[in-house]
Amino acid sequence: MHAHHILLLLMLVFASTLHAQQDTLPAPNDEEDYSQYDDLDFADQKARGFCSQKIFGQSPMRFISVMWDAQGPYDLRLSPIGEWPVDADAPVAEEGRATYTGGLRLMANIPVVSRNNIIWQLGATYWDTRYSISPTSTMQDAAGLMPILAGRGLRTTGLNTTIFKPLNETHFLIFQGIADLSGDYFLDDMQSLQYLRYGVALVWGKRPHDRLQWGVGLSRTYRAGAINYLPVVQYNYTSADRRWGLEFLLPARAHYRRTFNPRSLLLAGYELEGQSYRIAELSTNGNSLEVRRGELRLRLEHQRQLVGFVWLSMQAGYRYDWSFDADELPGGRDFFRGIFGSQPFAMLNNLGGALYGQVGVHLVSP
Amino acid sequence: MMRSLTLTLLLPLLLIQPFPPSPNAPANEGDNLIGVWEPSNGRARVKVEKIGAKYYGKIVWLREPNDPVTGAPKVDKNNPDEALRSTPLRGYRILKDFVHTGKNEWSEGTIYDPENGSTYSCVITMKDDNTLDIRGYIGVKALGRTDVWKRLQTKGQ
Repeated sequence: MHAHHILLLLMLVFASTLHAQQDTLPAPNDEEDYSQYDDLDFADQKARGFCSQKIFGQSPMRFISVMWDAQGPYDLRLSPIGEWPVDADAPVAEEGRATYTGGLRLMANIPVVSRNNIIWQLGATYWDTRYSISPTSTMQDAAGLMPILAGRGLRTTGLNTTIFKPLNETHFLIFQGIADLSGDYFLDDMQSLQYLRYGVALVWGKRPHDRLQWGVGLSRTYRAGAINYLPVVQYNYTSADRRWGLEFLLPARAHYRRTFNPRSLLLAGYELEGQSYRIAELSTNGNSLEVRRGELRLRLEHQRQLVGFVWLSMQAGYRYDWSFDADELPGGRDFFRGIFGSQPFAMLNNLGGALYGQVGVHLVSP
Repeated sequence: MMRSLTLTLLLPLLLIQPFPPSPNAPANEGDNLIGVWEPSNGRARVKVEKIGAKYYGKIVWLREPNDPVTGAPKVDKNNPDEALRSTPLRGYRILKDFVHTGKNEWSEGTIYDPENGSTYSCVITMKDDNTLDIRGYIGVKALGRTDVWKRLQTKGQ
């Protein structure tokens, strides 16, 4: 039984634990004088309050997700392997048309500690991307990346941890650490852990009221494919009538949210996603050739409750190629180019834009 | 003669309890849960009472008692059952069917979140006389979230 079958089975089991709010008792006594509860004190005078991780109306957090992602046709133009200056135009050595790009995405995010004064979650991800490519031309100096993509595909296996630490009733800290292993490996022939890539983020934030939360911080991220150090801005807002809101974690993603009811909502916005994929066959002399895949996804996503705590998500949009260039990392050690760096690329590649869709089933959090 | 001597010697021992109940402690340990409690977000106060052999908690106070849009008293508008959406939130039972199942533990009950209309399995643990760990979960306790509730009392008590 595959992992995604087990996850789906788990979701169905949990779905059956849904309880409808049914009253088996007589209605509470409405004669009660509720004003007597206006003026009360904590019995323990040292009791402290802490702000919540969420705001009203926010899209639900996910414990377990099983998703299928698929991109429509687009053209690929890949350069030969060389030393290509940042602003250069490299010659095209391989051309082809990808008729299918996509695969399974699994995610789990389990709270290890979930209390008022700290929330600590551990997560795992597995993304499998397969390609169907029809080559249109191949030069003699072609690296052969296209047949590798078509024959092996790309995978990411990762672990992550998130700590939400409220400091008091309005302020909080968030720490996130990520370790991803990305490449053209198969699960029964794993890539060495030497090529793990790490990301971290630290955010300090404020939650002035139940419908607003914002934060600022710094991150080390592979969101755009290559390593980068970026400022982070978090902004979550819900309107007073709860009908719309904003969910920003800039620069990674930004969405406008339209809430039809607590069990159905629509998100419109973008997400920047990416990894650094090691291509084993093209990694020679102890170096690691890594494709810096970064995708900007402009999208609409409808999320709705299926049954109980099992939700369905349907996403459609346009995938813009942020980066599909490659770097050769000496001894497998990564380097930072950033915006101003001048280190040459090993490959300069171009992908056409593509329409894409994604469907997912999720077990959501209380 | 021997029997009456034994009784005479043992009777004082039988009358002495090693841990006499405190004057404020309820006769039934499970009744420690009874009282008024405030969840960590401070948005509501919940009065726990005993009905039959089980414990129930209803909302008795809301920091924002009226709907900010309509100005009318808040109702359970997110309930999946349309017939219940006009029920006032004040007086609404959000803790249901709890049974005292062990030392400082009440389980077999549910907690309702009026924010999203969802009902979760729930276990309550009393950390000390004035603090409750309320864990709502889905299926297994690992998939859940714990909220800490504090006991309230009349001012100056």
